[in-house]
Amino acid sequence: MMNGLIADTAERMFSDHVDRGVLDAAEGGEFPVALWDVIRAAGLHLVGSPGSGTADADLYGLLTIAGRHALPVPLAEVLAANSFLEENGMTTVAVDGVAPWGRVADRVLTVDGDVSADFDVSEGANLAGESRDRITLRNACRVDLPAQFYERMALSRVALMAGALDRILAMAIDYATEREQFGRPIAKFQAVQHNLAILAGEVAAARCACDGAVMSARSPNFAVVVGAAKARVGEAAGIAAEIAHQVHGAMGFTHEHSLHHFTRRLWAWRDECGRETDWQERLGRQVASRGADSVWEFVVGVG
Amino acid sequence: MTMFAGLLFEPTRLPGEAEVLRAEVRDFVVRELPPDYWPNSDFNEGHSPDFSRKLGERGWIGMTWPKRFGGGERTFFERYVVTEELLAAGAPVSAHWIADRQSGPLLLNYGTEDQCQRYLPRIARGECFFSIGMSEPNSGSDLASVRTRAERVSDGWVVNGTKIWTTDAHRNHYIITLVRTEPPSENRHAGLSQLLIDLRGKGVTVRPIRNLAGGEDFNEVVFEDCFVDDDDVVGEPGNGWTQVTSELGYERSGPERFLSAFRVFVEFVRAVGNEPAPAEAALIGRLASHLMTLRRMSISVAGMLQKGGSPVVESALVKSLGNDFEKLLGELVRLQAPPGHAGLEKCLRQTLLHSPSFTLRGGTREILRGVIARGLGLR
Repeated sequence: MMNGLIADTAERMFSDHVDRGVLDAAEGGEFPVALWDVIRAAGLHLVGSPGSGTADADLYGLLTIAGRHALPVPLAEVLAANSFLEENGMTTVAVDGVAPWGRVADRVLTVDGDVSADFDVSEGANLAGESRDRITLRNACRVDLPAQFYERMALSRVALMAGALDRILAMAIDYATEREQFGRPIAKFQAVQHNLAILAGEVAAARCACDGAVMSARSPNFAVVVGAAKARVGEAAGIAAEIAHQVHGAMGFTHEHSLHHFTRRLWAWRDECGRETDWQERLGRQVASRGADSVWEFVVGVG
Repeated sequence: MTMFAGLLFEPTRLPGEAEVLRAEVRDFVVRELPPDYWPNSDFNEGHSPDFSRKLGERGWIGMTWPKRFGGGERTFFERYVVTEELLAAGAPVSAHWIADRQSGPLLLNYGTEDQCQRYLPRIARGECFFSIGMSEPNSGSDLASVRTRAERVSDGWVVNGTKIWTTDAHRNHYIITLVRTEPPSENRHAGLSQLLIDLRGKGVTVRPIRNLAGGEDFNEVVFEDCFVDDDDVVGEPGNGWTQVTSELGYERSGPERFLSAFRVFVEFVRAVGNEPAPAEAALIGRLASHLMTLRRMSISVAGMLQKGGSPVVESALVKSLGNDFEKLLGELVRLQAPPGHAGLEKCLRQTLLHSPSFTLRGGTREILRGVIARGLGLR
């Protein structure tokens, strides 16, 4: 379970400092300096780092809250880097040569274990408009990455998605409860209720898959469990975003409504650090290699 | 942290003692099932009083009940492990399933000391099997509309009416029957009661109903002036609705709600071999990722039951997701099944023919979604 004080601090801080204006400005390429400053001042950028007295549950719990607020800073990357490197300004992480907010970072670490403060940046964005800059390192040093560093990055996406899923469920319920058609709130229509029930199921499943992966963070099965979680939560993201939009009608399709801040992130994050099929294939090969009569043992064994 | 009470699946791990049990169950199943036994992970398939009795001897029925009623005073986690191992192995568990899962717990919660003494030890020994008397020809999902009625006589009740879709009524011993003990009033949930009735007693006629797969598992049960002693009223007369809904947490959250098609998965892996093509591997991985997640959810609900909770919404969520998965599994495997694998073909046929029941039995998909929607505050 996550430390309640960290959770409360983060929830309050992100509620206070992340709004439409900040999100839109970040999409326009403007790094939210004020937000990053309060995060650093509170020490949230060091959650999960050695000597911080915090655990995996705190780190990924914090990312879940970040996802719930569409936090427009590279917190997942900074936490991953700070979890084993001495803090030295903002360190972002490049996966396949692409790093969030490379343009403002002091250092870039790659998932292959190269790190450098000297790099070229070509600015880019994912489909949510989040900074995803192409990085070319110069004068890189090798560092010893923690075990399964890429899987940890994948888990950060799982946690972010779990948070965003939670948010779109809340938004869809609020909207359906307020929006009236045919003389009553659309939440009173069975068709809408059933869609929201499906949405809730996917959100709950995603949350459980995420929690399970976090619980396994120190176990030998971590890679398998993260892969399963990334695949399952990626599926949930697609189904849930579709329903949330359907419930919100044309209003949710506008730029003005903030639903897209979350649904576009879900669409982007399910592709980052391995799509569903990438992880499914990997997992499927592992299951098959043990043989048919060990399928059950495999599923149970990874916990 | 999530805002909805019904979505709070606390991360839960099976404790060590539950895992110890796992190996014992696996050994037992290998030893006790004949070599030519064809496994079926659907909990409704395979009715074997003999196998149930052996499970009873091992202490694997009524595991969570008090010892003085023949139970094992073990945890819901231990019970969870036993049930999921039996289902995954495709063991024949239908005979004792309902008695163990819900009739026993119902008697424990609402029954008299005398009822518990009379029935629970026999259930736990695997000698006494129960059916559920809820649905009627004109009352399916709308359970509160049941018309089977019990009229007061001097030392008991006289029951008239018909129950339907009663699994294994033709080979089980008792049926806990939801009846109207008062005429319908404005409060539709008032005036309902549960009676424990001997399926072989006077005034009870059981007629098997053939299903589309050719099997005869479910039945029509007709009560004609069937006398029920006061001693066999379960709980307070009039409290039937509360009691019936309290059974649902037990009924809906278990591994039987996502493992019905599991043997198809196993046979698919066998058919594609150790080095599957990319699409085959992806399907195996997809199914495994769902299964792993559903297990977590179901284990989390076992934890809620262990703490004495009544996780009605969470159970509806597990069943709803689980049933959809059971149906999806067969459909996805069908499209990628390599030809020429008799075992896989047999499993697929069996699963497809039974699949309509997955999202009907124990609460239809539509009812479950309504329960979830209520949990979300929409109704």
